[in-house]
Amino acid sequence: MTSSWKQQLVQVLLVLVSCGHGDTKTAAPTPTPLPPVTPLKQDAKSAVLTGKNFTERVELSSPVNMTLSCTWKGDQDKPPNITGHWRKDGQEIQDSRVTVMLEDENYKLIQVFSVVSEKDLGNYSCVFGNEARIDFILEVLQMGEKRDKPVVSYIRDFVVMTCKVEENKPIPTTWNWYTSNGTDKEQINTTASKRFKIVSEERETKLKVKDLTLDDAGQYYCGAVYPIGTSVGQVELKVITFMEPLKPFITILIEVVVLVAAILLYERSRAKKDSAEGTQTNAEQNTEPQGDDKGAEGNDSVRQRK
Amino acid sequence: MGPAPAEVVGHKPLDGGWGWMVVLGAHISIGFAYSTPKALSIFFKAIQEDLDASYSEIAWISSIMLAVMYAGGPVSSVLVSHFGSRPIVMVGGLMCAVSMVTASFGSSIVYLYLSIGIIGGCGLCFNLNASLTIISKYFLTKRPLANGLAMAGSPVFLCVLAPVNQFLLGQFGWRGSLLILGGVMLNSCVAGALMRPITPPPVPSSGAPTKNGDQPDKRNTKMKQRCMKKATKFVDLTFFNDRGFVIYLIGNVMYIFGAYAPIVFLSAYAISQGVEEYSAAYLLSIMGFVDMFVRPGTGLLANSKWIRARVQYLFSFAMIFNGTCHLLCPLMKSYPLLVAYAVFFGMGFGMVFALIFECLMDLMGNQRFPSAVGLVTIIECFPMLLGPPAAGFLVDIFGDYKYLFFMCGGVIVTGGLFLFIMNMYNYHMLEKENLGKTRKPNPTSLENPDGANNSEEQMELNETKGTETNTAREDPGLERDKETI
Repeated sequence: MTSSWKQQLVQVLLVLVSCGHGDTKTAAPTPTPLPPVTPLKQDAKSAVLTGKNFTERVELSSPVNMTLSCTWKGDQDKPPNITGHWRKDGQEIQDSRVTVMLEDENYKLIQVFSVVSEKDLGNYSCVFGNEARIDFILEVLQMGEKRDKPVVSYIRDFVVMTCKVEENKPIPTTWNWYTSNGTDKEQINTTASKRFKIVSEERETKLKVKDLTLDDAGQYYCGAVYPIGTSVGQVELKVITFMEPLKPFITILIEVVVLVAAILLYERSRAKKDSAEGTQTNAEQNTEPQGDDKGAEGNDSVRQRK
Repeated sequence: MGPAPAEVVGHKPLDGGWGWMVVLGAHISIGFAYSTPKALSIFFKAIQEDLDASYSEIAWISSIMLAVMYAGGPVSSVLVSHFGSRPIVMVGGLMCAVSMVTASFGSSIVYLYLSIGIIGGCGLCFNLNASLTIISKYFLTKRPLANGLAMAGSPVFLCVLAPVNQFLLGQFGWRGSLLILGGVMLNSCVAGALMRPITPPPVPSSGAPTKNGDQPDKRNTKMKQRCMKKATKFVDLTFFNDRGFVIYLIGNVMYIFGAYAPIVFLSAYAISQGVEEYSAAYLLSIMGFVDMFVRPGTGLLANSKWIRARVQYLFSFAMIFNGTCHLLCPLMKSYPLLVAYAVFFGMGFGMVFALIFECLMDLMGNQRFPSAVGLVTIIECFPMLLGPPAAGFLVDIFGDYKYLFFMCGGVIVTGGLFLFIMNMYNYHMLEKENLGKTRKPNPTSLENPDGANNSEEQMELNETKGTETNTAREDPGLERDKETI
């Protein structure tokens, strides 16, 4: 297995070097003129460094042989060869130190990594000399919709939380939901707790929680499981009692009653003033609240009308 | 149909004083009526998730609310002419509050259709109709300005309710928000309290003493003739004999058909042109903001000496302007140009809506306006419901938004041109008719003749001056009556 692996590695390297793709920022999946022995897909990313630092994010969903190639234009003084090495998550990878020759005014570092499981993801850096560095952050596919507002629901009510994956992204193998337990994430078991129900379709998953209590509030996590790892989305749930919206409602109710009473009392006092003056100078200003079910002040003006 | 002199006596419009408080009340009332169906759409996503409904099922809530609001026009007209505006607006406010509060407990989409859609729609319908009627009672010379100020309630309330709804949604979820919104809508009752009644209980000239629940859409469970007779008391079909009314109606139907679709699809069009989502939403806010100022401005303009007598021309100009904006929209491909389009759209939309009811009042006069507006709103129900789906259908077939704008712009421009030409004809015919008529103190079918001479308002103004002498004559009679008590 390992010998065919190394064979394949060397062949891929040769293919890449002969292609000479150097400066492109976008990746092209490497064509494999190799015998299709491996079940893993091939992929390649490359970057050119002009300054001291550069970072590129790579989203993955399934295991892949990732070829990373770095090109560096070099410093002021360009020695004919320098040492370069690779790091994973800041730690130098063993046996990765090589001597890089100066070709066409550029230094190149190329390495193939097999990314099979979640532990293979991380920050891969190629380092030229001691300082010049390009970071490739290999991570699981991120979920599109970032929800920043909490979902609000009420005690003894139910709530539905959803997570979606965008149309053009691959479909997860399965969905999981987790609740936060202190600092840990604990998976929700729908058979154990009857209040929780998970309905998952290909690109969407829904968690329905019935009969809410105040303890149910907090962070919930939906995990889209891919062959390479799990992509996690976050939903915050807020549970409030019914009294909370009731307070503003009652405040507004009181305000309305006060205003209506004030307006009608003002009107009544004006009508009384007008009738007290005993004149009917302005026919228009004499109010006739004929449909007014609030008071019997119509009597005064009615008397005058007749 | 003509008012007896005694009725006109108590009916001299105030044109100021408490009238401005009534305008405030109408502003609030109309604001709720037009902005609530749109502002509710902020809750739709949350409701959709909780009740597991599709987007189109949820969108029906707004459509039902708008449809009931317009379709209930005739019923509302009859109630207003019976009881006056104040009780009706207060009842409307109560109904809206009840609808929102009951909706907050809802657990199925049909329940929301009934509570928000039907009960809420009824409440809003009462609000709208009664507010328009009372403006026509309180104002004559300054009526265009009063109308403009009152109609400005719609964009103002929309601009206020939209962020408030967002805030409420984040704090209380959609249920609590609906509850609080119900409380807020109780402020319609305050608006109603401001609408001090002005006339003695008028003898209902259309004579509709019974409301046996016969809907204007004529569900003939009883004998056909009896039904027809009762129905005509709700919906006075003699209006269709009125040339000016028919012209207005046709022009309006065309306008409403094309008016709402661009609003619904503006964000989507902007996003398709490469604008990002937030900025696309901003376009509608810009339009609303411009609308807020254009409506009173148009009212002020329509009030001026030169325009007042020819306000129908201003209305048709506003429609043509609005339609032209839409026709030019497909040329606007960059964000600054779209902003310019939103500004001009807001201007055109505001101008039309500031004048839309003023023109009807102008044509029909104070006495016939309440029933006329009921008839107009129920007929406008159809283009309003059909317009956006038809436009959406065009987008689906052609895959391009420009045909939507062409259709809407084309229909609106045609409507505007139709109004313009037909109003010229109408004025001409009326002038000919008036030359053959003797000037009576209580004109029955006085329409809008040409020129500054015989405009209806001036007729009514002359009337009121004439009736002032009438009141002088009648006052001794009244005083005699007083003495007998």
